Amino acid sequence: MGLRGFSMPDDLYFLCMLHNIGATSTEKSLTMEEITRWTAMEPERVRSNIQKLIETNYVKANSSSGVERYHVTEDGIRKVLSMYS
Amino acid sequence: MKICMLTWEFPPRIVGGIAPHCLGLAKALARENHEVHVVTLDFPGAPISEDVEGVQVHRTKIELGHPSFITWTFLFNHFMERKVAMLSRDVDFDIIHIHDWLTAEAGISCKHYLNKPLVSTVHSTEVGRAQGLHSPDSYLIDGLEWWMAYEAKRVIVTSNSMKWEIQNHFHLPEDKIDTIPNAVDVAKYQKEIDRESVRRRYGVWPNEKLVLFIGRLVPQKGVEYLIKALPIIVQRRPEAKLVITGDGWSKSYLEGLARSTGHGDKIRFVGFVSDSNLVELTMSADVLVVPSVYEPFGIVALEGMASGVPVVAGNVGGLSEVVEHDRTGVLVHSGDLGSISWGVNKVLSDPGYSHWLIENAKKKVKEIYSWDAVAKRTAKVYEEACRR
Repeated sequence: MGLRGFSMPDDLYFLCMLHNIGATSTEKSLTMEEITRWTAMEPERVRSNIQKLIETNYVKANSSSGVERYHVTEDGIRKVLSMYS
Repeated sequence: MKICMLTWEFPPRIVGGIAPHCLGLAKALARENHEVHVVTLDFPGAPISEDVEGVQVHRTKIELGHPSFITWTFLFNHFMERKVAMLSRDVDFDIIHIHDWLTAEAGISCKHYLNKPLVSTVHSTEVGRAQGLHSPDSYLIDGLEWWMAYEAKRVIVTSNSMKWEIQNHFHLPEDKIDTIPNAVDVAKYQKEIDRESVRRRYGVWPNEKLVLFIGRLVPQKGVEYLIKALPIIVQRRPEAKLVITGDGWSKSYLEGLARSTGHGDKIRFVGFVSDSNLVELTMSADVLVVPSVYEPFGIVALEGMASGVPVVAGNVGGLSEVVEHDRTGVLVHSGDLGSISWGVNKVLSDPGYSHWLIENAKKKVKEIYSWDAVAKRTAKVYEEACRR
């Protein structure tokens, strides 16, 4: 049963968007500002969802040149795809 | 034949049953001397192209993204289509084979510009997965599934229940559909394992009975009914411990449900388990429960049968065709807690009966559900699609 017609928890909804916009590996990771722009969400909402998803291992943070970037992990990819197959 | 297979999941990108199906089928077709190219999506750590036991695997990088899932699927289909176009410069494909709606757009497009027949395997339907069409996305997916079945020269399904479902829902002529079951690689389960140490890894102690669930944590898999049935199971079998593998969007709800039963210490969520570890875990279980409420085939049940673990399954869809009640497993009423606990207790309480089920199941798997047999039948469907 897909999620269609069911209300999706905010962190899952956010995880799906992060996956669909392509942040699925270190090379494709995005900054908080980029994610905020893509998802059209309030920065605070983005921050709290990212925090939650890092704790559950669905999102990973990496730092390059002092900038934090985020991407969906393998478990996160599977989580997203489970909704549509 | 030169076969171009399109699938959105292929190991190590494993979401559900489509990945092992495509891998098993593609390898068996390659063993039959067909030239098999699998076009799929990339996955962290997986090579862009590789040879997997004679199968040419081409992984497509998705160069564009979009927050909407449906739009994202259109985008990756576009990139898959481009990949096939590039491959077709060197390979004159005889057939295009797609799996489920997720690759329908690319497959249909390839069919027209390459002027080659299209075969589609319908593993499940949106109306079945969502138990109705409740949202605009569902209607869209349902429409794509109809389009895929309409454009295909032949449609393959894995069970008679699925055949009936698509015949009725998409108004497909019966003679356009072929039923070819899923299969399982029996050799995977022919290995020595240290049962106690495998069980310990998942928190199951020697005096406990391992009740195993494998699958995506989504409502169609019915795991919530198994969790709710656990208090009834432990009344008779207090040593029962439920291990739940897999992930999915219902996970946090199910974790909360497990805590609310008062038996949270007897229910363990172990997340996604790699294929080789899953084989060992399955072989170490005392019973495998497949409590699905919708299941077009039920490959997990088949894998349980091949691994030598007694299977208790919901009497729905393809499961009721794979598992023969009281002979190769136990069928129970899906969603019925009393029935599920009865089935589990029956198997756990009678080792002789359980052993008899296992032996019958192994025999049936060997006779009917081999990839070589499935590949031969699939190749015949390809030939027929090319001929007409």
